[in-house]
Amino acid sequence: MSIFRKHKSIVDRAAADRIRHKKKIDKAIKESIKDVVAEESIIGQNGKKKIRIPVKGIKEYRFIYGNNDKNKTVGTGGEHKLKRGQKIGAKRADKGQGQGQGGQASNEKGEEYYDVEITLEELAEYLFNDLKLPDLEKKQFRFIAQESIKRKGYRFQGIRPRLSKKETIKRKIRRRKRAEKAGTYDPEGDERFPFHKDDLKYHHIKPKSKENSAAVIFFLMDVSGSMSQARKFLARSFFFLLYQFLNHKYEKIDVVFISHTTYAQRVSEDDFFRVASTGGTLISSALDKELEIVEKEYHPNAWNIYTFYCGDGENWASDNEKAVDDFKKVKEMSQLVGYCEINENYSGLADTDDDAEAFGGMPWGTFSAWKAEEADNLWARLNPICDNTFKRVMIGSNEHIWTAFTYLFGGGKNE
Amino acid sequence: MSDWTVEDLQKWDDKICHVAEDMGLDWFPIDYEIIDYQEMLSSMAYTGIPTHYRHWSYGKEYERTHTLYNMGQTGLPYEMIINSNPSIAYLMRENQLYIHVLTMAHCVGHSDFFKQNRMFADTNPDNVIGTFKTASKYVRSLIEDPSIGIEKVERILDAAHAIKYQVPRYPGIRYKTRKEWLKSEQRQMQKDPTYKPSLKKFPHEPDYNLLLFIATNSRNLEEWERNLLLIVQENSKYFIPQALTKIMNEGWACTIHQKIINELNLPDSLHLPFIKLHNQVVRPHLGTINPYHLGYELFKKIIEERGFEEAMLIRATHNDITFLRTYLDQEFLMDQNLFSYSFKTKYKSSTIDDIADGPGWERVRDDLITNVGLNRVPVVFVMEMDKDHRLTLVHEHDGRDLEVPYAQKVFNYIKDLWGDEVCLLSQIEGESWEF
Repeated sequence: MSIFRKHKSIVDRAAADRIRHKKKIDKAIKESIKDVVAEESIIGQNGKKKIRIPVKGIKEYRFIYGNNDKNKTVGTGGEHKLKRGQKIGAKRADKGQGQGQGGQASNEKGEEYYDVEITLEELAEYLFNDLKLPDLEKKQFRFIAQESIKRKGYRFQGIRPRLSKKETIKRKIRRRKRAEKAGTYDPEGDERFPFHKDDLKYHHIKPKSKENSAAVIFFLMDVSGSMSQARKFLARSFFFLLYQFLNHKYEKIDVVFISHTTYAQRVSEDDFFRVASTGGTLISSALDKELEIVEKEYHPNAWNIYTFYCGDGENWASDNEKAVDDFKKVKEMSQLVGYCEINENYSGLADTDDDAEAFGGMPWGTFSAWKAEEADNLWARLNPICDNTFKRVMIGSNEHIWTAFTYLFGGGKNE
Repeated sequence: MSDWTVEDLQKWDDKICHVAEDMGLDWFPIDYEIIDYQEMLSSMAYTGIPTHYRHWSYGKEYERTHTLYNMGQTGLPYEMIINSNPSIAYLMRENQLYIHVLTMAHCVGHSDFFKQNRMFADTNPDNVIGTFKTASKYVRSLIEDPSIGIEKVERILDAAHAIKYQVPRYPGIRYKTRKEWLKSEQRQMQKDPTYKPSLKKFPHEPDYNLLLFIATNSRNLEEWERNLLLIVQENSKYFIPQALTKIMNEGWACTIHQKIINELNLPDSLHLPFIKLHNQVVRPHLGTINPYHLGYELFKKIIEERGFEEAMLIRATHNDITFLRTYLDQEFLMDQNLFSYSFKTKYKSSTIDDIADGPGWERVRDDLITNVGLNRVPVVFVMEMDKDHRLTLVHEHDGRDLEVPYAQKVFNYIKDLWGDEVCLLSQIEGESWEF
C-alpha cells in the first residue's frame, strides 16, 4: 500500500548552509581572538603552544521568558519523594522541556560558548589571513623559490597511510566516555565499544611552493629608562605579533633586531624580546644603525625593506630634527615604515572631529597631548611624511594592538 | 549488513495497514524514503521538509545534531514524518527490521493524526511540498541575484526567524474586518453618546500577526524583502499546529504503534526487542516532560476509562492545552509524580514549588499547561501604528517576564525590518518597561 523508495541523493543538501554557519563561527573566532592576542600568556610562546579561546556561539534570538521564580517548569519526579521547597540543583532550568517541535520552538538560552583550542600557528592563520605586507616588489636579484611539504593539522578525510592513530584513539575514547556518561554504553558489559567512521583522523599535508622576493624587516625598539615595564610589555607584544605574522606569511625573510638607548645595537631575537637596559633616548641612533646595516648587507635594489619602530615618543629634543631626517631616508628606501608610539594616556578615541581633521583624518593624531603647545614633539613632526608608506600608530593599552596592526597591514582603514 | 529487504518492509507494511484499517484509522498514503544516517541528519535539520529553503541556521542545526550523535548523547529519531499528502516518512537504512516495523506503525498513527486533528485543518497538505519548493527556489534566486546576494537575504531571514512565532496561534479564529469593526463601534456610539472611540485607530484591533503586519505595512521594505517575510509567515502557519499538538500527536502515535504491533503477532525475535524499544521511547525523563511518555500515558488512561472510540474523537478535536486541561486529574499527576519548580535568583538554585498532592495538583497542572508548546513562547502583538508610522508593540504579560537581553536583540531585528520608530511595552519585575 505504501510506497518505498531507496533514496539516492548525490548532493549533500546541508553542505552550503553548514559552510555558511562555519563562516559565521570563524568570524566569531576572529573577533574573540582580538581580545586574546595581547594576553601575557601568549607573548613569547613558541608556535606549538595551545591557546584556549572562548568563542561566542552564533545565536538565534527569539522572545523567550526569563529564568526566574515566576517562570515555572514542570517535570517528572520518578521514584523520588518530593517536598515543597526542596532544592533540586544549582543549575538553571535552562533546557527546554522537549516540548518544542523538532527543535522548532527550542528556546534554550544562556550563552553558547565554543571553547576552541588552537595552536599559535593556527591563531596566526586566523589573524593574518587577510593581511599582507604591502607592495612586495620583485626586486632584481635573489628570488627564493620555496617548495616544501608540511604536516598541517588533521582532517577527517585522508588516505590510510596518513591515519593518525593517536588522534583517532583519542576521539574514540572521548566518545566512549560520553556514551558512558549518557548511559548508552555499559563499560561493565561484554560489548566492545567499536571504532566509528567519524573517529578516524588523518594527518593533513600541505605542499607549499612560493616564490618570495627577498625581504628584510627591521625591528627597532627603544629600551631606554623612560620605557617602563608596562610600556616595554606593550612594545614587545606589538613586535611579537608582528614577528608571528611575518613568520606565518613569509617563509624566508631576514629579520634584523635593533634596540637602542642613546646608542643602538644589533641584537639577537632572544635579547631583543628579553633584555632590559636603561639610559637616555636618541632615536636617530637606531635609524643610523639601520642605514648602516642596509648599506653593508641589504641593498635596496635587491631587497624589499620594511621598518618598524616602537618607542614611547620621548626623544631628546635636540635629536628630533635628525630623527625626522633619518626617518625620511629610511622611508625612501623602505616599502613600509611603521612608527608605533606607546602612550598609556592614549584612549583610542578622537577628542573632537576637528582634531581628526587637523591630523590628516587619522584617529591616532588626535590625542590631546599633541595639541598646539606640544606641536614640537616627534609625533607631530612626523606629520608631513605620513602617507601610505609611512604609517603612525599609537598604542595606549593592549586592546589597541590589534587595531594598530590592521591599520598597518589591512589597507589603512581604522575603526 | 541489514537484516531486511524492501520486500520485507512491503510485507510488514501490508499487515500494518490492514490492522490499522480495522481499527478505523484514516490516514494519508505514506511514501517511505530509505536514507542513510547523514541524509537523516539533513532531513532533521530542515525539519523534514525535502524542499525547504536554505538558511545557515539549518547548517547549525545539522552540526548540533551531528555532534550530539557522535558523542553518543543522542540516538537518531526512529521516525520522521511530515504532514503532507502523501505523507513523507524516512526510514534509516542502518536500522534493523524491528525498528522499521515499529516506525511504520508509528507513522500510521502520525499520519492519521495529521489528517484527522482539527488543528491541521488549514495546513493544506496536498500542496505543502510544492509550496516549500517554490519558496526555496525563490530564496535561491535572490541569493544568486547579483544585486541582492546572500548577505542581504540573511539580514531579512535572520530578523524574520526571530519573530516567526509571533503569528496567530489557533486556527479558525476570525477577526473582525475594519468595516465590521466600524459598524459595531458606530452602533455602540449610538447606544451610548458618551462613548467616543478613535475611529482612525490602526490596526483597529490588536494584530497578532506581527510578521504579516510588518510585511504589509512597513514602508521601508523592498518587494523581495516583503516576499521573504511572507514565506516565513507561511512556514509558521504550517508548523504551528504541530507545536500545538506535540504531546497528543506523539502520544497518539505511540498508542497506535503499540496497538498495531500487538495485533501483528510478531515472532519473539522481533517482539522482545520491540518491547524494549517501545519502553525506551515512552519512558519518563526525570525533571522534565517527555511528550511521548505523557501523551501515551494519558491516552492509555482515556482508553481504559472511556474506550477507544472516545479516544478517536479526542484525537480529532483537542489540542495539547485543552487535552491536558480536560483529562489530567490528581490521580494521574500523582502517579506520574509530577512537580513544578523554578529557578530562585535569590538562592541561585532551583527549588520545588508544588507537588501533585491535594492542595497542589491543580497548580502543577496549570504550570504544566503554561509550558506546553506555544505557551512557552511570549505573545507580542501590534497595538498601534500612528500616522508617522510609529509602531507600538505590546508584550502580553502573563506573570512571566521576558528575558531582557534576548528581547532587546529581537527588538533590534524588528526595528531593522520596520525601518521607522518602534516601541515595545512590557513589564519587568512588576514595573512597566519600554524597549
